[in-house]
This record gives sequence, structure tokens and C-alpha cells, in this order.
Amino acid sequence: MSTEVKNAPALDAKRLVIRKMNKHYGTFHAVKDLDIEVEPGEFLVLLGPSGCGKSTALRMIAGLEEITSGEVIMGDRDVTHILPKYRDIAMVFQSYALYPHKTVAENIGFPLKVAGIPPEQREKSVHDAAAQVQMETLLERYPRELSGGQRQRVALARAIIRRPSAFLMDEPLSNLDAKLRGFMRAELKHMQHELGVTTIYVTHDQIEAMTLAHRVAIMRDGVLQQLGTPAEVYTNPANLFVAGFMGSPPMNFVEGGVNNDVLTFGDNKINLSAAPEGENVTLGFRPEDATVVKAGEGRFDAKVYTAEMTGDLTLVTMRLGKSMMTVKMPKDFMVDFDELVGIEFPSDLAYLFTTKDGARLSATVA
Amino acid sequence: MTSTTRRVENGQPGTGPAGHDHPLSRSARMNEWIDGHARQLFIMPAVIMILIFSIFPLVASLIIAFSRIRLKAGGYQVRFVGFQNFSKQIFGSEQFHFLGTFTTLSILGWVVGLAASGSIAWWMYRYVRQQFSIVGFIGRLITAFVGLALAWMFAATFFSGNQFGTLGVTLFYVFVGCGLQFLIGLGLAFLCSQPIRGRNAFRVMFFIPMMITPIGVGYIFRMLADTTKGPFAPVWQWVGLGDFTWATDPWAARIFIIVGDSWQWIPFIFIILLAAFENIPRDYVEAGEVDGASNWQIFKEISWPQVMPVAVTVMLIRVIEGFKIVDLPNIMTSGGPGIATESMSLHSLFAWRSLDLGQSAAIAYLLLFVTVVICVSFFNLVVVNRMRQS
Amino acid sequence: MTDIPKHYQPTFFQRLFEPPTIGKMAVGTKVVVYTLLLIWSAFVLFPIYWLFITSFKTAADVNGGPYYLPFIDFMPSLHAWHELFIIDYEDTLRAYFNSIVISLAATGLAVLIGSMAAYALARVKYQPNLVTILLFILTMIGVLVAIGSYGVDWWLVTAVAVAVFFFLMKAISSRYQILLHNGDILFWMISQRILAPIVVVVPIYMMFQSVRLLDTHIAIILTYTVVNLPIVIWLMYDFFSSIPKDLEESAQLDGATMIMTFREVVLPLSRAGLAATTLLVMILCWNEYLLALFLSTAKAQTMPILVAAMNAGERGILWWSMSVVIIVMIIPVVFLAMVLQRYISKGVLLGAVKG
Repeated sequence: MSTEVKNAPALDAKRLVIRKMNKHYGTFHAVKDLDIEVEPGEFLVLLGPSGCGKSTALRMIAGLEEITSGEVIMGDRDVTHILPKYRDIAMVFQSYALYPHKTVAENIGFPLKVAGIPPEQREKSVHDAAAQVQMETLLERYPRELSGGQRQRVALARAIIRRPSAFLMDEPLSNLDAKLRGFMRAELKHMQHELGVTTIYVTHDQIEAMTLAHRVAIMRDGVLQQLGTPAEVYTNPANLFVAGFMGSPPMNFVEGGVNNDVLTFGDNKINLSAAPEGENVTLGFRPEDATVVKAGEGRFDAKVYTAEMTGDLTLVTMRLGKSMMTVKMPKDFMVDFDELVGIEFPSDLAYLFTTKDGARLSATVA
Repeated sequence: MTSTTRRVENGQPGTGPAGHDHPLSRSARMNEWIDGHARQLFIMPAVIMILIFSIFPLVASLIIAFSRIRLKAGGYQVRFVGFQNFSKQIFGSEQFHFLGTFTTLSILGWVVGLAASGSIAWWMYRYVRQQFSIVGFIGRLITAFVGLALAWMFAATFFSGNQFGTLGVTLFYVFVGCGLQFLIGLGLAFLCSQPIRGRNAFRVMFFIPMMITPIGVGYIFRMLADTTKGPFAPVWQWVGLGDFTWATDPWAARIFIIVGDSWQWIPFIFIILLAAFENIPRDYVEAGEVDGASNWQIFKEISWPQVMPVAVTVMLIRVIEGFKIVDLPNIMTSGGPGIATESMSLHSLFAWRSLDLGQSAAIAYLLLFVTVVICVSFFNLVVVNRMRQS
Repeated sequence: MTDIPKHYQPTFFQRLFEPPTIGKMAVGTKVVVYTLLLIWSAFVLFPIYWLFITSFKTAADVNGGPYYLPFIDFMPSLHAWHELFIIDYEDTLRAYFNSIVISLAATGLAVLIGSMAAYALARVKYQPNLVTILLFILTMIGVLVAIGSYGVDWWLVTAVAVAVFFFLMKAISSRYQILLHNGDILFWMISQRILAPIVVVVPIYMMFQSVRLLDTHIAIILTYTVVNLPIVIWLMYDFFSSIPKDLEESAQLDGATMIMTFREVVLPLSRAGLAATTLLVMILCWNEYLLALFLSTAKAQTMPILVAAMNAGERGILWWSMSVVIIVMIIPVVFLAMVLQRYISKGVLLGAVKG
């Protein structure tokens, strides 16, 4: 697993090692044997659909959830069984968890206050932290007087003020509207780069994961599916789930049986090489890799279901049997409802998986 | 929604079951009328009930308080006597009963009285210097006046070694009793909001006393406190108080009543404060834990500020109900020894029993006055202040 | 930015009172917490235990000194139960029946009338005229003085007063207007709770006397209803305000009247609030003593009066029978609490108290 951490880590940034971490709630196995090593100063994103155990994993790292088995090591210290307050971490919650009865300044200064640092010393730190998130003019406001983005900044300032060994962020941008989210995303990335603090970030939004992360860890049903740089997981997905989860619109899939290196679905046939004989196989290709061509000229034909102009391009959705597939076409592309068209894609950009367990196949499209 | 009125106009479609040209049937007309007057019909029953059974008696009581009522064959005769009933309580022959026994003030009495007067004067001075509005000033003037009167009442009775009257006893029940109940209720609620086993069992168990009729509580505690046949009789014997009776020690009797009252009312405070604790978003506490706060800091900095608005309102309710205390002293001690445990409600009840309706109403009105002044002051100075802050 | 200590060596004290991990309790904390809770449990339960065993004691058991354990210290006897439910069953059951009828009717009325008013206050804008209200109160004082001091028949005075009031209202109120708002009405209604029963009970007594309704169910039911209206209005106002308006507005677009909206949309949505309010009001009605004492003499006596009746004057207090009455009084409340409990979410009372 070669990792390239692009920003220089801060001097005191810590390596965070999660080893064989498990969580059971009664009979429910929420997190299964999670193994992740986060490099000092790395920005790691835990990605997955809701209920996949990513938040639970984060809360276990924070110490807010008991670890059923396994260990968490920060730097050279085993923190598996110590209280959150002794772990030297800062956490940004989805709800921000700003205390409504405290002003912005009091909220930001809270970690220092509980550490017993006298007010005069606190004041400067609070001001510096607030300045870092451009909130220094609003220090006397209460959280309810702030917009969503401003609250988000206060939460960040509260996290950075005591220079923790690690940041933990639980879907911090999910309460913002789309425009602000994009903006805050950029700021967050810049800030993490400047501070160089080891960061674990939980989200269900794959665009956030792609844009923010040095490495992405994709989870499903408590199991780590793939760990790699955003480019790796996008271009070289380890299995059907990862392939389907990354990308928007998602990868298109067709499913059929293999006979003599020929994949058959409906009336269509596609030639493969080195495919497992007699098994059901799923073929996937990305919307941006395919093109819509005249009927009969592509690898197979399908009927147009709808076409959507998004501004910079046109999304053409076609129906084939039960499955839908989407292709990105130039913005001036015209097509009619229910028109029969062909779909073409290059053979080296097609992915093959077993239908049964979604494992990636080494077979290729001929 | 300001009005749901739909007027029927003939010839318009869908005006009612009776159709276009025919006059509406009686029941349909009735429905239309009800519908048109729904705004009034919704609120009127409550208004009328309150007017008849609350405002009317209140006004009647006021008139009685200013009269002397004599029963005569087949009815009663009312004679207007002005403030006589009130002055009898405050300055006249009943003063010892209502306010307490006044002799000369002791040194402690002077100290307490002057200290209270000084702080009230300082409080008024600060208000006038800082901000000023006519309504606020008059309101504070009333509060200050009542505060001064009560302070000197206590200075002249309690702090000078004299017996105080039913007003003092009522205030003792309200402030000491409710204060104690609040502290214990808050503590229990905090304990039960911790991750303990059997939380629900404790919650149900602690709620039981609320379900028992107050007069039952009175008798139960009378049983328990019996120094010869009660369950703690051996303890009394052992301490050497075997021949002690509640009828001789005023303070023991008062505290005994507060214990009974607390047993009944702590559940109320407990159950609401527990809900308030459990209602604090988990994130707040967790954020505090991650940020390194100790348990005490989490309580002080996060939980308590969140619970405080609820606590203030619960206390307001409890104080309002506390002023009405009557069943417990009536049952447990009949107001004795002497008048040591007699609350104002009980005082008024006793006056009614001796058929002195004017006195009874006057005492009731004095109770109402004290309750309203204290509760409104509390509301305006504490609750409103807090609301302005948040 | 400030550095704060990053390493942690727990002291003995911290080991004792700080949880080893989150969600667990340290030994020291555990000991303190459970000790306190158990002490309080004992304080809560012991009086109830004593009440329970007393109901099985004979006069000799009670008077002979404290006996704690049935079968060991004393032989439990059912004589008190026998006396109340076999020999004197008429009195007992009548009081029981009275209590049930009165509590149910008063609670039902209070919840119905109170929630209607609360709903109206939460959704409709009212602007009563203060001048009209002052006129009304003046007329009322006139009526009372006429009845009290001059002995005029109450129905005659009332009729005249109503006429005078309407005349004055037309003449004066339309010219001078000091408008009040919903908040004022709400405050007025809720503030009625400040009235100690003793302030109003004498006039209420006289009122029911003059219409010959003393010692009837109706008198007690009406009084209890009014005494508890403020609570209902207060709790339900908060509850109705928290219901989103969309559902009601959509019902109105579908052509529902205000009454239909209230019955079909609002009430079903407010089940949790209604259940909590009903339970609270029921407990208060069921346990009320002072008003019942004034308003009933024999036929309409309720259970709390029966409890007090066990203080039998020269024969002393019949502790055993009294215990039985108190115990049978608790049972329906517990039963009702269990029935309503699943509707009551813990946040119901909280909303109203948050201010």
C-alpha cells in the first residue's frame, strides 16, 4: 500500500493505527476487523452508505463508543481504553454541537477553559483560532445568531484551538446547502493542509471523499472494502460495490451469463477474454467513458428513456430490460424519447465482476 | 388561519346538502352557524367557566373580605366594614396569629432588618440608575415594599427570638421546603440520568408518592412519626426522646411537615428535571468529553445551563402550589403546637370553621397578594431576565 | 495557540471516580450513585410498606408498639378489609363510585374544554377589549352587592345585570378600545392556577347553595373542571403550538371546518400530550380534599373524605381502615398510569416547562 502524503505533516502530527477493531451491539456486528493506518498529517476519508459503520468506527477512535475488540494507537500510545479527554483529539460533529448558551468566543475557548488555562491566555488563542476561520469579528455572537456556514467555522475553530494530535470529523458539511458545501470543502482542505494535522473524516458523499482525501477508505456493512487514493479507487475499484458507489452518475452495469467467452444478456452478446465459464458476470462501464451512437453501431442497443441537459453536458438515460444506464454526451447532443440507439465503450475501460459476490475479475472485454 | 368562515350564498355550487334553490334544512343551517362561529365556540366554554367559577367567586371573596357576615335565620346579613378585617390581622388582635408576636427587636433582629433594607434600597438605586421605565419602577416598588415588610417581620419575630405567625410559616414552607425539594429532586434527576442499571425501575419507584392523596400522605407520616408506636419508636427510645411529642417543639413539627411535603413533591421535580437532563443533545456532552472536560465541568458548563430554563419554570410551578399548602399541616399537626405549623390556607380554613367568613376571606386575600407579588417578581426578575439572555 | 498537557497519569482519586472507558462507571462513582439511589428508594418505599402492613394489623397490633414483619412480629388480619368491603361496603363503594364518576367527568370536561381553548389560542387571533372586561367586572360587583347587602333575588339581579351590561357595552365599549391579545388571554387563564382553593371556596359554596346543588356530583365536577383548566390550557397550548400548521392548512384546503380539523387532524396528532395531561389532571382530581370537604356532606363524598373520616374523633384514628382506604385509592391511579404510559413520551411535560 504505497501512500503519498502530499503536504508536509506538522512536526507533532501523529500516526494513527487502527488494528482489528470490532464493534458488537448485542448480536449486531457493526464494525468488522477494521485495519487502517493513518500516516502523520494525512487526510483520510471514511466513505460509505448510511449504516455502514463508518460513524461507529469514528466514535470508537474518539473514545465515545466502547471498542469490543482491537486497538487504537496514536503515535506511540495505546489509547484503546482511555477516556476521550485523554486522547488528545478534537472532533467536529455533524450537528456542530455548539453550546447554545455560550458565545462564539466561549465556545471556541471551551477546550482551554476546561484545561484550566487562565482567561488572559485564552483570549489570544481564541482570537487566533477565530482569525484562522475568519470569525474574529463575530466573537460575541451566540450560535443561534449565526448562519450554517458560520457555525461550521466556529466548530472548526473549537477543534483547532488546542492543536490536537488528530481531527475527527463526522459528516461536518452535511447540514450545509450545496453551494456553501463546495466552498467549505475547499476551505477545509486548505486548512488541513496548513495545519498538517492527521485527520479522519466521515462522509457518505463520494464527491467530498474524492476532493478532500489523500486516501479513501470505503466501508460497507462494517467491512472495509478498499483503501487507496481517490484516483485508485475510482479507476481501479476492488469490487462491484466500490465501482457502483464511486462516481456520479454511478457506473452502468449489465448482467448476464458467460458461455464460451461470450457474455449474453437479453438478445445482446459481448465477447470477453479469459472469462470464467458458465458463471454469471456483471459488466460495468462509466457514463463518461461511453458514447451514444446510432442503433446497431454500438456494442448493444437500448431505448432512450430520457435525456437531461445539465448545462455543460447532456445525460442520456436508456433502458435495457430492467436496468437503466446513463451516458454523458456533449451538451448539444439531441435525441428523442423512445428512440433506439446504440451504446459504445472502449474495451479497456470496461470492468468485470462476478455477480455472485461482486469480486473483480481479471477478465477483459475483447 | 384567521377565520374558517364559509358563508352560504344561494346559487353557488357546493354550498351544502340542501342544493341550489331550496332553503337549507334546519340541521344544515345549524352546522353553518356553528362553523361560522367556531372561533368563539372554541374559547367561550373555558372563558365562561372561569368567569363563573373563578372570577365571580374571587370578586365575591373580595366583597366578603371587606364585610362582616352574620348568619341569621334563612340566610345571612352582610355589613360593609372597610379594611377592618385586614387591619385586625395586620395591626389588631389577630396580629400575633398572622404576623407573629412582636416585642422589642433584638440586636440580631436589627442587624438582619437593616441589612435586608440596605440591600433592597441598593437594588432599587441600581435599577433607577441603570434603566428606568414607569411600569418597571412601580413593579419593583411593590416588590421592594413587600420584601421590606417581610424582612422586618422576620427580623422582629424569628431573629428576635419570638414566634412568627402563619405568614412566616407559609414562607418557611415555600422557601425552605421548595428549596430543599429542588436540590434533592435535581440531584436525583442527575443521578438517574447517568448510565446506571435499573433506571426505569428507579424512575417508576420515585414517582409513586405523587400518586398518593396529600391527606393520605399526612396520615402516613403521622403514623411514622409516632414516637411510641411508630416504626422508629426504638430509635426515639435509644436517643432518649421516648417521651418526646411533636406537639411541644415548633421547629421539629415544622420540619416534620416539610419532610412529608418533600416526600410527596420531590417526584414531580425529579420527573421533569430527569426528562430535561435526558433531553440534552448527546452531542453537547460528547463534545465536552472530547474537549477534555471533567464530569463536574460537563455538569456545570453544559448540562446545567441546558436544564436551567426548565428548572426555573418547575420551581415557579412548585412555589405556586407550595403557597397553597393546607392538607399536610391540617392532618399532621392541626397547625400545632399552638400556631407553629399553621399555614395561611389553614388559618383561613380555621377562620371559616369558626364562621368568621370576613376574616377567612381577608386572610385568603392576603395569601393571594403575597403569592402574586412573589410569583410575579420571580417571573419578571428571573424568568424574563433569562429569556432575554437566551 | 496554547499548549495544554497531553499526557495523562491517573491519580488514585481519578482511578476511583473516572470511568475506565466511556459508558462504564468507575467503582467509586458506582458506589456513591447506587448508595444514594438506594437510600432514596428506602425513603420512598418504607412509608408505603408501613401503610401496607398497617392495613393488615388489628388495633392491638398498632397500639401495642411497633411491629415490623407480618407473620413474625404479628399475625396479619383481614379485619379492616372485611369491615370496609363486607360490613360497611355501602359507604366504601359509594365513595369509590363518587370518586370515579367525579374524576372521570371532571378530567374529561377539563381536557375537552381546555384543549379547545388552547387550540383556539394557538391558532386563532383574538382581540378582546379591555374596556368591555372592566365593565363586566363592575357589573359583577354590582350584582354581588345587590344580592349580599340588599337581599335581592339572585336571578332577578342577574337578569337586570345582563341587560345593563349589554347596554353599556354597546354604548361605551365601541367608543373606547384597549385591545388585548392572545398572550394576555393565555396568561389570564393560566394565572388562575395561582388562586388557592381557599380564596374562592366560600363563594363557590354559597353559589351552589343558592341553586341547591350542594352535595351533588355536578357541583364537585364543575369546580374540579375549572380548577384544572389552567393546567390543561397551559400544557396543550404548548403542544398545539408545536404541531406544524401544514396538516391543518391542508385539511382546510380540503374543505374541513375548524371543528372537523380539530377532531380529525389535531386531536389524533396530540395523543401524547392528551395522555400526559389527562393523567396529571386525573391524579389531581382523584386526590383533592379541601374542595370536596366544602362541597359534599354525605351523598357526594369522595375517597379523600373517607380517608379523613377514619379519624373517628373520640375513638381515635382507625389506622388499619385508613390504610386500606389509602391503598385502594392508589390502585386505579397506578392502573391508569400504566394504560396511558405508552402514549406519554418523556418530552411532553418538558415542552411546556421550557418557557
